[in-house]
Amino acid sequence: MKFHLSHLQAMLLFALLISIAFGFLSRRRPLERVKYIAWSLLLFLLFGIGIGWAMYPFSR
Amino acid sequence: MTDEAQIAAAPAVDSKREARAIAFGIAGWLVPGLGHALQRMWGRAITFFAVVAVLVFVGAGMRGNLFNSQGGDAFATLGYVADLGTGGFYLLAKYLEAGGPDVSHAYGDYGTRFLAAAGVLNLLAALHAYEAARGRKG
Repeated sequence: MKFHLSHLQAMLLFALLISIAFGFLSRRRPLERVKYIAWSLLLFLLFGIGIGWAMYPFSR
Repeated sequence: MTDEAQIAAAPAVDSKREARAIAFGIAGWLVPGLGHALQRMWGRAITFFAVVAVLVFVGAGMRGNLFNSQGGDAFATLGYVADLGTGGFYLLAKYLEAGGPDVSHAYGDYGTRFLAAAGVLNLLAALHAYEAARGRKG
């Protein structure tokens, strides 16, 4: 069993799983959970891609 | 029951509830989601089990570093504590990673993070199960 995920794939999967867990951990009602998961996922991706671009000038 | 008898009975009830809460917390650590399942919080139980299982499965599949007790430095010890947080899944990850870790590639490094995140998340879920059993969380 081997998984060769790219950086983007790994980040997407990680962000989705952690967002779902946080949503279920911190919210009780289904609609609130969905909102929290969507918001958390968006922030994960925004910060991940943002930090990636911020590091770009130093990558070479 | 008189006021005095109520006051005397209260600590016994509290200590029983506390013991139950600790048992739920430990159950949740050993088997992700079990602490919530025992309290009939099915949604949370299934979610935590599935999320921790996928993180461990993918982390081991990417050949992430699963730390052991003979780490040698502080980071390895912290990594071991985080990995142990997955409870029973630590043994599953050991079994899945029969070939050992391979962090010479980037995906091996990602796998290490997935395994550590699974452990920390499970510890958080176990703490939530403990708090819920004490009546502090809904």
